[in-house]
Order: sequence, then structure tokens, then C-alpha cells
Amino acid sequence: MEQKILLKLSHISKRYKTELALKDISITLYKGEILGFLGPSGAGKTTAIKIITGQLHQTSGEAMILGTNSVNINASIYENIGVVSDNSGLYDKMTVWQNLAVFAKIWNVPSGRIKEVLEQTGLAEHSKKQAGKLSKGQAQRLVLARAVLHKPRILFLDEPTSGLDPSTALEIHKMLLSLKEEGMAIFLTTHNMDEATKLCDRVALLYNGNIVEIGTPKEICLKYNHNKKYKILLEDNKEIILEQNPENADKISLWMKQNLIQCIHSCEPTLENVFLQVTGKPIDA
Amino acid sequence: MENIRKFTAVAHIKWLCISKNTTLMSGIAITILMVLGYKFLYGLNSGGHLSPVLLSLLLNLGISMNICMDGFLMVGTEVAEEKEKHTLRVLMTSSVTGIQYFLGSIIYPFIITIVLNFAILFISGIPMEQVSLPLFLVVNIIASLTSCIIGMIVGICAKNQMNANLISYPFIMLFMMLPLLGGMSEFLHKLSGFVFTGVITEMTECFANGEKYVLKPLAAVVLVSELIISLLVFLLLYRRNGYEKD
Repeated sequence: MEQKILLKLSHISKRYKTELALKDISITLYKGEILGFLGPSGAGKTTAIKIITGQLHQTSGEAMILGTNSVNINASIYENIGVVSDNSGLYDKMTVWQNLAVFAKIWNVPSGRIKEVLEQTGLAEHSKKQAGKLSKGQAQRLVLARAVLHKPRILFLDEPTSGLDPSTALEIHKMLLSLKEEGMAIFLTTHNMDEATKLCDRVALLYNGNIVEIGTPKEICLKYNHNKKYKILLEDNKEIILEQNPENADKISLWMKQNLIQCIHSCEPTLENVFLQVTGKPIDA
Repeated sequence: MENIRKFTAVAHIKWLCISKNTTLMSGIAITILMVLGYKFLYGLNSGGHLSPVLLSLLLNLGISMNICMDGFLMVGTEVAEEKEKHTLRVLMTSSVTGIQYFLGSIIYPFIITIVLNFAILFISGIPMEQVSLPLFLVVNIIASLTSCIIGMIVGICAKNQMNANLISYPFIMLFMMLPLLGGMSEFLHKLSGFVFTGVITEMTECFANGEKYVLKPLAAVVLVSELIISLLVFLLLYRRNGYEKD
């Protein structure tokens, strides 16, 4: 079955005075897919989101969002997309409920939906609390609740779990996966490779304004698994790493027959290692 | 319908923000209290009855203060607060258009400024038979609208609330202090006739003196041209960078 394309970038570039922030970006996002845009700070992730959502104009190339060229989109496009930037703000003197109710009015969403997203994000018991008094994690969940209030077809998330504690990040991950199940397409930028591996159907590694690699996390990791190795923990708690060759295969086979192996893991590279291999620089550089 | 719904949603947001902003709300209260306080103090030496000069001084103070301190500070500070708290971008990426945001942002400050100007007129104790209410309403509407648009100019230029206050000072000095200082010198009085706040205070001076006020062509031109100029400046700035420079 042919997948429905919701977003298509073709040869997008963006120049800021002297600096070329994006060079030649081409990418497609399908319905019900989570696409990760991965790269270090300054790689061009936020610029890409701003171009797609019509907040910035590209220097060259074409961005089609929900069948409309991003250059021609008007405010009505935001009725079908949700945007969470790394600094999306809240009306901190309003309650959690009021923060959602005002946007529900803008999108003509019934108040039952507010209850629904408050339940989904675990904020129902805080609905009367002032937004300014929420913890960082709760505030981020409220930002996310607001972005999905109108059930957008595409959700843009710019570093959604940046600065959050692991348990809150985990809750947000669960929510994103359930939104994907509902058919929402999610465009996620992050520099957290573990997050990308866990959440994304496909990832694009962005470096210096270029996509240097694209595919499913597994495909990418296996593509760069040139030197296949296995980490083995033996019964005597000795941990060894063996390369894949006939000699080591016999050794492992023998240990297995003798029941000497506690556990065995393949050592394919992580996305972080791939990024280092491809760019020569670590992701957090 | 959709336009009205989004405009009222923005207006509702602005009302919630203004009503919870203690600085802005105390600004309104201070304006009323100043008028009441000065009325009481001026009346101490005259058995509660104010002479036309004192009455006109009282009205000038209250109305200029309301238009400048409440009108454009309310609009400017709120736009700047949205930038500071990063909610402006959220609103502009939620399908609200520039015009819906503009109208939603100014509607409550506009109404508050008009109502407060009438309240100042009533609490000043001016005999109502001396006041042409329809003319006061028309001039009040134009002056309040100009004030709110200047507030949007301040908001569009400011990066944060502190910056908005700083940018407001030249406007406050010009539009509030000039009519107030007009009583001190003939030159400043003439000069104040060229600003919209000067027109409204000149009108209230006439009312206080029990004179019939006729809107002169120059005053009408000043009122309308300053409204148009402020709107054009706003549009020019908006077309350049929107509400927020990226």
C-alpha cells in the first residue's frame, strides 16, 4: 500500500547573510511516521522546522506541507499542524485549564478534548494550578498537550525532552508513540541519539547543513557495522570482545556447548558512533 | 465567524493577562486615585468647589495620564511580555493572523481607556451641562485608538517588558507631559495643539471653563493625521519583521 506523503522537502537551502545554515536538504515524511532530524547544536535543525512551518523562507528549494508550498502557506495551515519549539512558552499566570481553553477557542475544539489531553499528559489533577507553578516536566507536558489539542496531522517537535529528567522524558516518549499510533506524523529534532533510536521510524543525521545519512536507526547502524564484534560475559564473570571470524565462531560454539556463556551481545555501532564515523565529530561537540 | 472566534480568543487571552498584571492594574487605580486625591486637595482651600483653572488642571492630568500610562503601556507591555515569555510565537503558529492579533490586543485597552476617560470626567465633578458628551466621545475614541496603536508600535519594537517601558518614555514625555506643561508657557501650549493628547486636553479645558468647544480644523487634522501616521508606522514595522524579528 502506498504511504501518504504529508511533507516533502526538495533541495532546501537557507543562507543567513554569510552563513549557509542548510545546504541541500531533501526529505519526506509519511502519515503515522516519526522522523528524527538529528544533529548537534547549530546543525540547522530549528532552521529546517521554521522553513517547513512558514516562519522562515528558504533561499532555494521547495517545501511542500500537506500539499501546499510552504512559501504560500497562511495562518490556516496551523490548524493542521502542531509546533513545539525548544522555547515554547506558557501563560504562566493562567491556570493549566485556561492555557488550553484559550487555544481550544482558537481551534474551535470542544472542552471535552481539553479533559482528554489533560488525562493523556497526566495533568488532570493540576488543571486548576497556575502554569507558572508547574515543574519543568509538567510545563513541557502542558506545551505538548497544547500542541496536540486540535489533533494536528503533523506535529513538529524541536528538542521536546531537552533538559527533562529521564522519567518525564519517558512519559513524553510514551505519549509520542501513542500519537503515532493514532496516525499523526511527527517531525522530531533532537541531539539525543538514544531518544531517536527508541522513537524514530527513520532518522536523518544532519551536519553543517547537510543530511549525511538517512534511514531507519537499525539500517544506519548495520550499514556502519564494518567490523563485526560480539561482547561475551562468561560464567566466571570474565567479559571479552571477539571479532567475527571462523576461529572465534568455533570458540563461541564450544562455550555454548559447555554452557559457559552468561550473555552475548552484538557490538554494532550506535547512532552516536555512526555520527562520529561520518562527520569525525561527536554529536555533542 | 472564524475571524470573530479567533479575535475574541486573543482578546480573552489579553484580558486574562492584563487583569492579572498588578503593574497595569495599579496604573489604572493610580490614575483614578490621583484624580480623586487632587480633587480633594484642590478642594481643601475652596470649600470643595474647584475653580475652572483647577478643574481643567485636574482633567488634563487624569486624561493625559490615562491615555499615555494606561492606553499605550497596557498594549505595549502586553505584547512585550508575550515576546519575553515566548507565547507570541506560539500564538502566531496557532492559526491566529496578524490582524486578529492586532485587534484582539487592543480591544480591551481601548475600551478601558475610553471608559476611564469618562470616569475621570464624572469624578472630576465638572457640571455635565458644560460637557458636549458626543464630541467628547468622538475625540476620546480617536485619541484612545491612537494611543493603543502607539502601544502596538512600542510592543513591536520592544524585546521584553523592561525594554517596552524604556521605549515608551519618549512617547510619554511627548504625549503626556507636553499638554501638562502647556499651562506653563504659551509656546508649549501652542505646541501641545499639535499632539492628539493636546487636542483632548484643550477640549476639556474649554468644558472646565464653561465655554462651548468647537473642534477646529487644525485639531481635527491633528487627531486624524496622528491616528493615520501611527497606523502607517505600525504597518511599516509589521511588514518588515512581523511582530517578532527572527
